[in-house]
Amino acid sequence: MSKPVAGTLVVGVGNTLLGDEGVGVHVIRHMEGMDLPAGLELLDGGTGGFLLLGPMQEAGRVVLIDATLDDQPTGTITKLRPKFSSDYPRTLTAHDIGLKDVLDAFYLTGSDPPEVTLFAVTIPEPSGLTLDLSKEIDAIVPEIARQVLEEVD
Amino acid sequence: MKRIVVDPVTRIEGHLRIEAVVENGVITEAYSAGMMVRGLELILKGRDPRDAWAFTQRACGVCTTTHALTSVRCVEDALGIVVPENAELIRNIMNTALYVQDHVVHFYHLHALDWVDVVSALSADPKETSRIAQSISRWPKSSPKYFADVQNRLRRFVESGQLGIFANGYWGHKQFKLPPEINLLAVTHYLEALEWQKELVKIHAIFGGKNPHPNYLVGGVPCSLNLNEVNAINSERLNHVGSLIKAAIEFVEQVYIPDLLAIAGYYKDWGAIGGGLPNYLSYGEFPTKGYNNPEYFKFPRGAILDRNLSEVHEVNGRDQEEIREYIKHSWYSYGAGDDASLHPWEGETEFNYTGPKPPFEQLDVDGKYSWVKTPRWKDHAMEVGPLSRMLVAYASGNTEVQDVVNDTLGKLQVPVTALFSTLGRTAARGLETLLIVHWMKDYFDHLVQNVRTGLTSTFTQEGWEPSTWPDSAQGLGLTEAPRGALAHYIRIENQKIANYQLVVPTTWNASPRDPSGQRSSYEAALIGTPVADEEQPLEIIRTIHSFDPCLACAVHLYDPEGKHIQAFQIG
Repeated sequence: MSKPVAGTLVVGVGNTLLGDEGVGVHVIRHMEGMDLPAGLELLDGGTGGFLLLGPMQEAGRVVLIDATLDDQPTGTITKLRPKFSSDYPRTLTAHDIGLKDVLDAFYLTGSDPPEVTLFAVTIPEPSGLTLDLSKEIDAIVPEIARQVLEEVD
Repeated sequence: MKRIVVDPVTRIEGHLRIEAVVENGVITEAYSAGMMVRGLELILKGRDPRDAWAFTQRACGVCTTTHALTSVRCVEDALGIVVPENAELIRNIMNTALYVQDHVVHFYHLHALDWVDVVSALSADPKETSRIAQSISRWPKSSPKYFADVQNRLRRFVESGQLGIFANGYWGHKQFKLPPEINLLAVTHYLEALEWQKELVKIHAIFGGKNPHPNYLVGGVPCSLNLNEVNAINSERLNHVGSLIKAAIEFVEQVYIPDLLAIAGYYKDWGAIGGGLPNYLSYGEFPTKGYNNPEYFKFPRGAILDRNLSEVHEVNGRDQEEIREYIKHSWYSYGAGDDASLHPWEGETEFNYTGPKPPFEQLDVDGKYSWVKTPRWKDHAMEVGPLSRMLVAYASGNTEVQDVVNDTLGKLQVPVTALFSTLGRTAARGLETLLIVHWMKDYFDHLVQNVRTGLTSTFTQEGWEPSTWPDSAQGLGLTEAPRGALAHYIRIENQKIANYQLVVPTTWNASPRDPSGQRSSYEAALIGTPVADEEQPLEIIRTIHSFDPCLACAVHLYDPEGKHIQAFQIG
């Protein structure tokens, strides 16, 4: 069962200076060039942390895209429905500090938490400082976008 | 003698490791190690200097606009561009908005839990919390029922077993001194501040087009001013900014400052702990007559040595002899060897990791032990941040600063020497917020006045076209970021970036020793700090957090193995 597209916010988070770690932002940039259902909003969340609370609260439904380093093969896209911050997979950089407060704050402030779907993308061990995605991750950006659209449709 | 390792220090941006030696309950030696590689400089080489701001601001999610601002200043300095007055005002509004948001978030979300026991708040009497709240502030959300509701939500959250953001606290530690009622007050405002800050930062989206990571522009600001134009900064948007600023003043005056004083009153002993270095550096901030006229900055530029408040030394970031960076104990190499220092315009970024393979028990602190370089001013180790800004302003004779500082010392009944401490650092951050939030309104009123009189220019074409640039140029962007003195240095050759170096606030404060063995701020501030319970080194966290560490830009990326050591290790 899915809700109407209107009021849905797709947020890609990550640090674009860290190559694959910024895959969430790259997916947003990719989607900006696509025909999207009316009312679907995109946000380059970058390393926004605390700054994401407002937009996420205002949306009724949030789709997050983030990179993770787990034991799965590179390029694995895992769809999760996390509830508390501790349900989220480990991310690489510092940007998760504010994000965790943001997520738990929904419960603590008594406001209705948005329905959150997280697409966690397994990335390879970082090998250097770069603005570019690795070949493997770059190749699955359209597939991540497709799954995001399928999710919100 | 026992060696305590805190790795990572939580509730900061980035990855910091602290090792401290404790003898008879007091820290006698300390080492601060940034555990992520630095190297944004490498990504910038060869790019268009006008794009540098967009990359530098991606370094960090906390002070994104600070790096963008410093970068455009740096490039404008290199190319001799002077921005129109409105651009300066809008940049000041965005920067003051960042300060206020950042300091409030630091106080409630990153630092308060070092002083506030969340679990104790569950046993508070909401009626008494209400009485205390109403005695220190006219903030309207203060009824017994309101505090009882928050307490109930907190109880459900804790009972659900999902401590989440509160999971890493030392709850019940005997060094927590607040009564349960003030703990409840602070936790309540923790939640209110989270809600409130999201409104204030809308200022960045209004002027910068988007948030996070708003847009900047070399030569001005990327927005136009027109009261009646739908897509411009029009009267509706200006009214919105005006009401956000009004709400910010109210929050700072009626929530942040009363809470700061109420909490500080129970921790006056921290006015004698954590002082550390006796030297303070500020580049000055908030230009009122252009970036090239620092004598008209709201916070003056200068340095204080040996806590001598009767003398302020001049600071010149261009002088090759003043600001220099060492790498003796950092994982880099210089062409001129490990004992050399370099001025940032000649700066080198060559990695040289010699440390152990993580996870490891302890660092080899006789060798290299951090990814942070060690900057010095005339070979002095300097503290940077709110305390430095306030002290330099105080010593420079700034009466606004003197009044608010003297008034607070009087209210807390502590001597002026209490400023040189962990408590002083945390108080200075609050007090400067009180000043800055009013300055934000001044800049806004000035901007509105300009627009009303038809003065709407926000950008200068002068110097925009690369064909007008000299073959080579160098520039310096100096900013006081919320965390302290921030410098970007650029060298431009043939219209491209030939070298770009950042000397960020946390580099000054978190760096390892220099070749002559002088400690930097964190290491110096920990010496003499008592540690009541070696298994729960709350006191270390208090002092380190008082600096508001942010290693996301001091050091970039990941540790050498590409993994973060997530476990909180004490051993």
